[in-house]
Amino acid sequence: MKTLNLIALLLFIAASVAVFMLDTPTTRTVQSKVMAIFAPFMHASATVENTTSRAIAEDIDPKELLRETEALRLKVQKLTILSQRHDELLEENNKLRNMIGYRERSPFKDLIACRVIKRSAATWWSTLIIDKGSADGVAPDRAVLTDVGLVGKTGKVSPHVSEVILLTDELCRVAAVIDGTREKGILSGERGSLENTPDLRLRFLSRNAPIAPGTNVISSGDGGVFPSGLLLGRVKLFENKDISGEALVETAVDFTKLEDVFVVGSSATPP
Amino acid sequence: MLFNVSVIALMCLTFFAEEFVPAVEIAQNARLFLAPVFFFCAAVAVPFPTMLMLAFMTGFVWDARYAQLIAEDKAMEQLAQVSSVGGYGGFSTGLSGSGLGFGYSIIMFGVLGCLMQGIRPLFKKGRWELPVFMVGFVTIVWLLVQFIIITFLRGDVFFPQEVWLKMVSDTLMAMLASPLIYLVLHTLARATNYEIKYEGLRYRFDGS
Repeated sequence: MKTLNLIALLLFIAASVAVFMLDTPTTRTVQSKVMAIFAPFMHASATVENTTSRAIAEDIDPKELLRETEALRLKVQKLTILSQRHDELLEENNKLRNMIGYRERSPFKDLIACRVIKRSAATWWSTLIIDKGSADGVAPDRAVLTDVGLVGKTGKVSPHVSEVILLTDELCRVAAVIDGTREKGILSGERGSLENTPDLRLRFLSRNAPIAPGTNVISSGDGGVFPSGLLLGRVKLFENKDISGEALVETAVDFTKLEDVFVVGSSATPP
Repeated sequence: MLFNVSVIALMCLTFFAEEFVPAVEIAQNARLFLAPVFFFCAAVAVPFPTMLMLAFMTGFVWDARYAQLIAEDKAMEQLAQVSSVGGYGGFSTGLSGSGLGFGYSIIMFGVLGCLMQGIRPLFKKGRWELPVFMVGFVTIVWLLVQFIIITFLRGDVFFPQEVWLKMVSDTLMAMLASPLIYLVLHTLARATNYEIKYEGLRYRFDGS
């Protein structure tokens, strides 16, 4: 081997070892900085993608559009009234909680509204990119939800964009409980499930647990990342494994139609 | 020298261009991994030290952009142990951590780049068939090794059909793109007077 090649190889090995030695906070900082560099390109690619999909989309009948607008307007009015009523109830609830000495309030007070920019181009991970980052109060390992249920948790965060690890990814694990029972388990996606909305696995349940298909699965709040009471999905099938029970769970959120999500802010304390 | 610098600059550009590459939904969201494929092609055209430099750069940026760093989730591990199965003595779920470590891609690209260097003599002669095939081979090896490591770290062997479909689709796209990348590299070499083609018994620069 030539001397120059040998020196290059040694330098390569030394640099690789140095990278392997980096601790998690340092690598997270590096990832955050790299995400910040890529952020304008992510926004630009999302714009291109949207423009292209609009250009190739079918023409919509203006009458149909008008009907839809009217229906949506009515819906907005109805929801505004409901929202006002909800706010009043929330306020009353908080007052009552304070009165009886509850320390924490609703964990969903501090929600950061985010728009989904695009799906990430990773090899084996199910992730997506949202348009808010650390500058907006988003931090790593925060629950991401919609009005329907849990979407996932935040991963890499840069000042203006963040990555969300979806509930369907094997890395996003949620402590869950079967609604109406004391059956607790860990819900996660399955490796290699590459469709947009694959089913999830709820593991470590009791064998022969009386779990009927269609029962809701909600977060239990254990583990600290995800607040309790979030709808995760519905049981499709329960089966006994070697030493525990396992349920196949259909996700509550339709991941193919995700446009807006909420990130639970840093000031919200999970119950 | 100018050729090497241009290849490094192009390598950076491919990372930004990668953001614009759409996924193919009907093939399990397979996509062209532009930056790695460009690296595999460039590994044939550049000298060994430059290849190692490119491997480090590609691996570092790839991990910084795509690697998932998951902290040890002790609370979750505890929950699994004290849940219903805890009565059986408790055991590790194998779920904690289990993302690929930061820096792993650097080694992968370094090793695969060395493989690509092995076919340099053929590439110099202007033969593209084997280099294109090799790009497909190293792409599928790269994806397969990634998946095997994940599988190994998480404790159970699991190879559904979708995984194979995605890997084959990704590989085919890499092989389709590689002749274009080789063409770009050849054009660049001509423009910068860098000799990577074999010309009978004489070639001005053998790349080492």
